Amino acid sequence: MIEYLIFALFIGLLFHGIHRKVIARVQGRPGPPIWQEILHTLKFSFKETWIPKTASQTLFVAVVLVAIGIWSAALFILLSGGSILLLFGIYLLHKIVEHGLGLSSGSPYGKFGAIRSVISAASELPLFATVGLIYFFTHSLMLSDIIAYQQVHGPLLIAAFPAAIAMYLVILSKLHYSPFAIIEAKEIVSGNMTEHFGIWRAGLEVGYAIKTYVLLYAFVLIFIGQLPLLAALLLMLLILVSLSFICAVSPMLSPYDTVTVQSLVTGAIAVYIIVLGVILA
Amino acid sequence: MFNLPVTNIGGSELFVLEFGDIVNYFSVYTAALFAFALIFTALAIVSRPEKMVDIAFGGDAYYTKEIDPGLLRFQRFMAIACGLATLGAVVSGDVFNFTLFVSMVGITNIGIVAAYKNKHVLNAAFQYGIVAMLATVPLFGGAAIVLATTGTLSLWELYTAAVAVPLIAKIFLVLGVMGEGMAPFYIAKAEITRAQGAPFILMVHVSSLLVFLRVVEIVISM
Repeated sequence: MIEYLIFALFIGLLFHGIHRKVIARVQGRPGPPIWQEILHTLKFSFKETWIPKTASQTLFVAVVLVAIGIWSAALFILLSGGSILLLFGIYLLHKIVEHGLGLSSGSPYGKFGAIRSVISAASELPLFATVGLIYFFTHSLMLSDIIAYQQVHGPLLIAAFPAAIAMYLVILSKLHYSPFAIIEAKEIVSGNMTEHFGIWRAGLEVGYAIKTYVLLYAFVLIFIGQLPLLAALLLMLLILVSLSFICAVSPMLSPYDTVTVQSLVTGAIAVYIIVLGVILA
Repeated sequence: MFNLPVTNIGGSELFVLEFGDIVNYFSVYTAALFAFALIFTALAIVSRPEKMVDIAFGGDAYYTKEIDPGLLRFQRFMAIACGLATLGAVVSGDVFNFTLFVSMVGITNIGIVAAYKNKHVLNAAFQYGIVAMLATVPLFGGAAIVLATTGTLSLWELYTAAVAVPLIAKIFLVLGVMGEGMAPFYIAKAEITRAQGAPFILMVHVSSLLVFLRVVEIVISM
């Protein structure tokens, strides 16, 4: 498990670097090398670190550990074929990390980030719709059952295409530089992460890298099925590059527009579920 | 002795905690929620609040807000009570107990923020209080419909294929929890985060999300 965790961390950081590189190339800039985020994390690990005097010190540190802990647990769920409802739960609990980061420092910029995080609560709704639609088809939320279902009936990407779009939106919502990334917008410095620097930022980079790996891998497992590792990684990379294109050409939305877009997608899927479940049945 | 009837939603049963005929259970799912609630309850106990930095409008000045020790004590008490109610709600094996714990979460959530002397926070807490109060109708109504139609409130019975729970009862339960915790539609809570005391304010969100996650498991499993 620990070796897979390190592997996921390395790939996640590499993906973040590729993400930045693709965005830069689309925008006509050279961009940083793809291993930049790995270097960033190493750099932050050895920088001088302290806790701001105004911070709630225990919480300030604890949220970083929680971020690493929950996404490591999410990786374990994926590997053990556990419940995607629990994965949905962890995704929701990530919201607590975002709140905690912003609220704990006492900084007004962090606070703005935390409040935007509350406003962007709608980013979880598409994932809830995804879980509902997957259950409609498979009658189980265990990942092992969903994979087995796809071996018999083919990829859910075709049967549950709207759910795939919803989860794609979920992954997009949590990516850096995404049109939905209002909590770390530059007009509020770095938003909820403003005061977390040094080893704390390195810890967050670790947690977020595992998160990116988990969400992309979950997408492949839920909608395509079990693939050999190299094929899965290639597919994850393709999904990431498509997301990077969207990030490169889309301006950041205003906080209330993010809620509108995410709620509309969820509403569309809810209608799709009702049509499938009530009218056709 | 006990076998959780549904294991394809929240994973297999780890162990049960009996209180007479009320049997709380820890599946992989509920145990994970319990652990998370426990961590944040512990944080509410041991953490000191942050000193909020405010920037004075129209200049370069900034200042940190003073903390009233009395308010701090009350917020901490309410946050711990909220944490305990959340712990109860996430492992409850009984619909009525679940609804009781959820309504306690709603009351303590208001308590955490209502003592803070700020017009915007108090307005938000008041509005939230009204929503939470209204939500008790569908919340307990849902439990009542479950009892009236099935003759039991035990989740161990309700999870079996032999018992059919009406859709309206499930909808009422979800509506009730959404009103008490307002998750995931807690955009109205944005004003609440103006209040000082991050470890305690965070408990508002923790409890809301956890009871919402639990009710999702309950209604899918029933």
